[in-house]
Amino acid sequence: MDFHAALALGLPLGIGVAAIGSGVGLGLIGQGAMQAIGRQPEATAKIQLAMIIIAALAEALTIYAFVTMFLLKDKI
Amino acid sequence: MIMGLEFLARVRKTSTWLGGVLALMAATYVSPMLGLAFAAGGLWSLFNLQLLERLVVSIIGPARTTPDGVRGAGMALMGMLVLLGAGALLLSLLSPMALLLGFLLPLAVIVLKAAAQLLLASRAWGALVRHPFRAAIAAVALSVVTWFALGALTSATAQHAPTPAEHSTPSEHGTPAPAEGEHAAEGEHASEGGGSQAFPNIIGLIVGANHGKPWADFLHHYEILVFSLFIALLLLLIAFLASRKPQLVPKGLQNGVEMVVEGLSDFITGILGPKQGPRFVPFLGTLFIYILSMNLFGLLPFMHSPTASLNVTVALALTVFVYVQFIGFKELGPLGWLDHMLGSPRDLTGWLLAPLMLPIHVLGELAKPISLSCRLFGNIFGEDMLLVAFASLGVTMLPFQALPFGIPMHALFFPLALLGSALQAMVFTVLSSIYILLMLPHEHHDEHGHEAGAQHAH
Repeated sequence: MDFHAALALGLPLGIGVAAIGSGVGLGLIGQGAMQAIGRQPEATAKIQLAMIIIAALAEALTIYAFVTMFLLKDKI
Repeated sequence: MIMGLEFLARVRKTSTWLGGVLALMAATYVSPMLGLAFAAGGLWSLFNLQLLERLVVSIIGPARTTPDGVRGAGMALMGMLVLLGAGALLLSLLSPMALLLGFLLPLAVIVLKAAAQLLLASRAWGALVRHPFRAAIAAVALSVVTWFALGALTSATAQHAPTPAEHSTPSEHGTPAPAEGEHAAEGEHASEGGGSQAFPNIIGLIVGANHGKPWADFLHHYEILVFSLFIALLLLLIAFLASRKPQLVPKGLQNGVEMVVEGLSDFITGILGPKQGPRFVPFLGTLFIYILSMNLFGLLPFMHSPTASLNVTVALALTVFVYVQFIGFKELGPLGWLDHMLGSPRDLTGWLLAPLMLPIHVLGELAKPISLSCRLFGNIFGEDMLLVAFASLGVTMLPFQALPFGIPMHALFFPLALLGSALQAMVFTVLSSIYILLMLPHEHHDEHGHEAGAQHAH
């Protein structure tokens, strides 16, 4: 397997693997936030704010893989 | 009389908009001078209509015997004479064909509007639209006929006038004529549907029309800067207009802008606390509004999101980074800043861990701008790529008809793009405020003792 084939195989695969991790993380965040809102509905605004921040942090990991793919895509 | 005047006013509005769009299209797709000539012809015709209307009103209207009416008629006659001179000048300067087309545009609008009014008032039309099913069948039949007629028209013109590129390649002589027509039509699609790279934007079109000129190269190089400066100027203009004549009971533009500012102020004060919050509202609120407008700008036709480029997002993130470090220096002092970087050591364990904490904190500070910029860039860029991919799918999924337009598949993803744009602008602002919050002295922890403060420092 030469360099180009490895890159063409690895880049989309990398995004997929990163998306698995992000997806699990986002699911856990959403689960926790929904449970917290269910227990304490009056704190919805605070919980939502924290949830969105942490979701952005978790989602950023997939975005890093995506950016890497776009940086390396011209080398294929 | 009143009906006629209202009809003329509607004609004027329609032909102004239509003529402007057509002139822009001619200027970008054909040549700037042709667009200018078209616009000049249309304007000339509109002025002519306006003066004619005033003349007729002042002659047969209720004010015909008063001095005002006589003066109005005289003014209109003088204006028409001036207009004739201007028309002669324009004819000698610009292309007569485009001028004539522009001149005919308002007249065509008048004829089409009158025909539509006659059609709408006729009994056959009433019978057609009374039943929903009959109307639906008629609409479907009309669109199918238009579809095939346009397809036949475009493929016929493409066959009759092959592009110069196909003349220059002799190896393609063996291909049959329909395939050639399809190729030419696909070339048109690429310029309309965006191909695989990005949507066409207005600067790209202008640069493409004036290829090789120095100012066009300059414009192409600084395309994103031009767009972001344009957005900044637009926001400046809105802010200026909203605050020019402030009123105690706001309405209109002032009301809307005040609502936005108040909402942002509440939001940021809610994160940073009522004491420190108001100081940072101008910076963070500006960030939010600016990023939101830049994100949403790419959804407008012929525009481009500046945040879909890493340069802009890195610049924004570096601004936040420098601002946060500056706040830290100013609020904590140099020693306090160093103390913060060392992890606020207060006892023996803290001091032992300090050499370990310093690189962690420095790396953490440096990672903030990278993550901020990459997140914004990746989200907006990916969003635009998604829209482009589905738009080109909508264009290429109907290859059997050589049509100059396709199905707007990407319209399904506009709500997603709107949501993503707003969310990313909010995330950027919230993270910036939290970075500022982490840098500020934690005065509300002091009543619980230093230990809690040290724990919450990071």
